[in-house]
Amino acid sequence: MREDENESITGFFQKLIPLASSLLLLFISYLPFNLPLLNNIRPAVGMVCVYFWMLHRPDIFNLFSVYFLGMVDDIISNVPFGSNIFTLLVLYLLLSNLLRFISGKPFIVTWYGFILLSLAAFFCKWFVLSVYYSQFLPFSTVCFSYLVTIAFYPLLSLILAYIQNSFMADEE
Amino acid sequence: MKRRKSLFIHLSQIRLLAKKFAIVLLFLSAFVLMLINKTDTVIIDKTSSVATDIVSPIMDVLVIPAKTLANVYDYFKELQKIRDDNRSLREENRQLLQLRDRARALDIENRLLAGLLNYTPPPESTFVTARVIAEEGDAFSHSLIAYTGNFPVKKGQVAVSDKGVVGRVDKVGNMYSKILLVTDINSKIPVMVERTRVRGILSGDNSPLPRMVFIPLSAELTVGDRVVTSGVAGVFPPGLPVGKISSIEKNSVKIKPFTNLERLEYIKIIDYNLDGILIDEEENE
Repeated sequence: MREDENESITGFFQKLIPLASSLLLLFISYLPFNLPLLNNIRPAVGMVCVYFWMLHRPDIFNLFSVYFLGMVDDIISNVPFGSNIFTLLVLYLLLSNLLRFISGKPFIVTWYGFILLSLAAFFCKWFVLSVYYSQFLPFSTVCFSYLVTIAFYPLLSLILAYIQNSFMADEE
Repeated sequence: MKRRKSLFIHLSQIRLLAKKFAIVLLFLSAFVLMLINKTDTVIIDKTSSVATDIVSPIMDVLVIPAKTLANVYDYFKELQKIRDDNRSLREENRQLLQLRDRARALDIENRLLAGLLNYTPPPESTFVTARVIAEEGDAFSHSLIAYTGNFPVKKGQVAVSDKGVVGRVDKVGNMYSKILLVTDINSKIPVMVERTRVRGILSGDNSPLPRMVFIPLSAELTVGDRVVTSGVAGVFPPGLPVGKISSIEKNSVKIKPFTNLERLEYIKIIDYNLDGILIDEEENE
């Protein structure tokens, strides 16, 4: 009986790991490291986390996790409230429709998928915010942010994969 | 058996519909939030401030190892520079001592002349030094969160570093405040060129170099000219250093801020007791 209880508690916490790890990485991405270049290079961690967990654990990283992650991102950042939620929802929507083409494929294919889908998400964010501010945001900086994000994808997905293998191995 | 199958199909269809409905609903809520934000109501400001106060302590804890990492890097980097710096600092110190004597003499002279002219000095200022715990500088927003403690920070107050203006207070929480940097697209600061007194507005565009706009056509500007706050509108006092002109093109004058906005550890939030300070809508009512 006690073993069952323990298992259910462990199972409950394991279900929280994708969201908790995403939030932790999100917080870390906003820390002032004061290292050269690093402050200019801030990948869109929220996008990477949504993509990774949707790809590997779509059963526990659901729509509401995406919404919550976007909301926390909106709270920390100073973009208009709702814009990060919107961006992550766009990524969620695209990925949930294309999941069968990307899921279970070699890493290079998933990375390629991220390159394409995050491009669409970045473009949507750029477009929505340009409409919001009634002026086009500088395209070069958006491109730079996008490139940084896709360049950071392997490293971040490695961290997330480590978390998944270490703490969620039983769930596989 | 058949009935159970049809019931199962029914349930899965309902679930699919509910999921689609939830997506639409959440998309709508994101748009509604943006719309509310656009109308600049107090609700978003208040909610955001409260939410920042909830989230910031987590970042405050996480910032400790990040800072240690940065300090270790700085330590090794500075070891190389230390000898050169020492030499140049000795020379600078010698010059500064001369300047101090000159400044003392000028100060006395200034006070005497001010007395003769019945000059009213600007109001006294108070300030708080705030630790930066989070920063954001990407294509979409340039801001930072600073720990201000119990100091009565107000929206619109000036945030400066040791080198010049950094930005202004945008959202105020109980212990933490969000600072809008001069490079953010929402930042508009009245400035002037120190040498020629040409006025304009420093307008951020989310790039590292904000633009100076609304400059008279006949204005004389050269690359390297210092840009300071003009004091127009009474939100910022005049004369605070902002940056220098880095490039002049046909339709754009770019300003390079004196402060390296990507390497801020501490900032000073100053209350100049100015009348033009941005007042919260709630206070307006």
